[in-house]
Amino acid sequence: MSQAKYRLSSIQAVHGKTASLSIDELTIAAGELHLLAGSNGSGKSTLLGILAFLNKPQRGTVYFDGVPVSWEPKECAALRRRVTLLHQTPYLFSGTVAANVSFGLVARGVGKESAQKVVRESLERVGLEGFELRKARQLSGGESRRVALARALACKSEVLLLDEPFANVDRASGALLESVVTSLVAGGITVVISSHDELLGTKLGARVIRLEDGRLAPAPGQSPSEEFLRLTGRENAIS
Amino acid sequence: MGFITDSLREALALILAGDREVFSAVVTSLNVAIWSVIFASLGGVPVGIAVALGKFPMMGAIRVLLNSLMAMPTVVVGLVVYGFLSRMGPFGSLGLLFTPQAIIIGETVLAMPVVANYTVAAIQGADQRILPTALTLGASRFQSLCQLTREVRFGVVAAIIAGFGRVIAEVGVAMMLGGNIRFFTRTMTTAIALETSKGEFAFGLALGVILMSVSLAVNIFLTLAQESHSA
Repeated sequence: MSQAKYRLSSIQAVHGKTASLSIDELTIAAGELHLLAGSNGSGKSTLLGILAFLNKPQRGTVYFDGVPVSWEPKECAALRRRVTLLHQTPYLFSGTVAANVSFGLVARGVGKESAQKVVRESLERVGLEGFELRKARQLSGGESRRVALARALACKSEVLLLDEPFANVDRASGALLESVVTSLVAGGITVVISSHDELLGTKLGARVIRLEDGRLAPAPGQSPSEEFLRLTGRENAIS
Repeated sequence: MGFITDSLREALALILAGDREVFSAVVTSLNVAIWSVIFASLGGVPVGIAVALGKFPMMGAIRVLLNSLMAMPTVVVGLVVYGFLSRMGPFGSLGLLFTPQAIIIGETVLAMPVVANYTVAAIQGADQRILPTALTLGASRFQSLCQLTREVRFGVVAAIIAGFGRVIAEVGVAMMLGGNIRFFTRTMTTAIALETSKGEFAFGLALGVILMSVSLAVNIFLTLAQESHSA
């Protein structure tokens, strides 16, 4: 297994009075594709929020590249420039497609010419060449999702987190997304996808992390697999 | 009815003739209103954002206070600021009382809660995904808040316009802090009050027509700006 990009230890994320996420140990390998599988309310989005450094867990430690995260605002801001989360229903800012796609670059202080080049490349990658000057709010649902993907790709982060990217997409968009994800992983990017569909893991060749009621779980009807024990840090239990 | 129409005719004649006293009051009104709304926006918009997004103790009390300040009578604001600016007050040595600057201070106090409250409403009504989206794309907290403000800019502009509406139409602060001095601190509203009490109804009506026109122009500008951006 590759070096760990994330290691989560004794994580508890509480919303209200009930624990929505409780993870003893979880490792996410660098440069690999992971599928976060689980039904509604299983804690997938909460976990993605933690991995994106948007939500601080109430308890536990998150290690990023082996370094424990302190959750200080400055540190989180710096880490968020290395990790990008694409929400399930992405929000496009008002203005042009180019303004949206270049948002992360402008935030990072990238020069105008370099930003324009990256915007063009990112839009080409999602099949939206020439969309730069289109109004973002006037795009179709499918086009909006592609623009949001291009915007996330333009950030060139080390980790890309995709919340339910295959939900409600047509076959062509699904194929495009698959090819983008495959090329990202081939380029050494760590990708975590959340989905209801556990079979997607097999299709994409991803490591599957299964969540049930906010806890890590082995595949249904099976004893914990070697892979499950490795991901959850219980390798010693393998006999 | 003849009295009204005759006065209206006379009022229009005063406006068209460019009456010096009428235009002095118009210029003074616009001057103090624009400056006070600029200062009120510089303070009120950040306060509104902080109140809308902040999670600090006493938040409920702060909101109640803002709402109460919004409805505060203009003469009470005038009275309090008068206390600070009068010779016996802590800022009396600055000699600001009965100057346009004094009116600007009073009207800033008057408009700030209006701007802040409308900004709170605009921010709270914004799409909940804006901030996390900006943050996850690598924006700093400050950059994300700027983006949020940009996304709700029409709400913020409406807040500023509401603040402008509050100050352009008020009498109490201008009267108490400006002293209604001819060609110096006399505003449209204080002039209307004075001239009408002297029986110069046409003069008051002329200023009333201009006051209404200014309010209408500002609202037309806002509507056109919103339509052009949403197209």
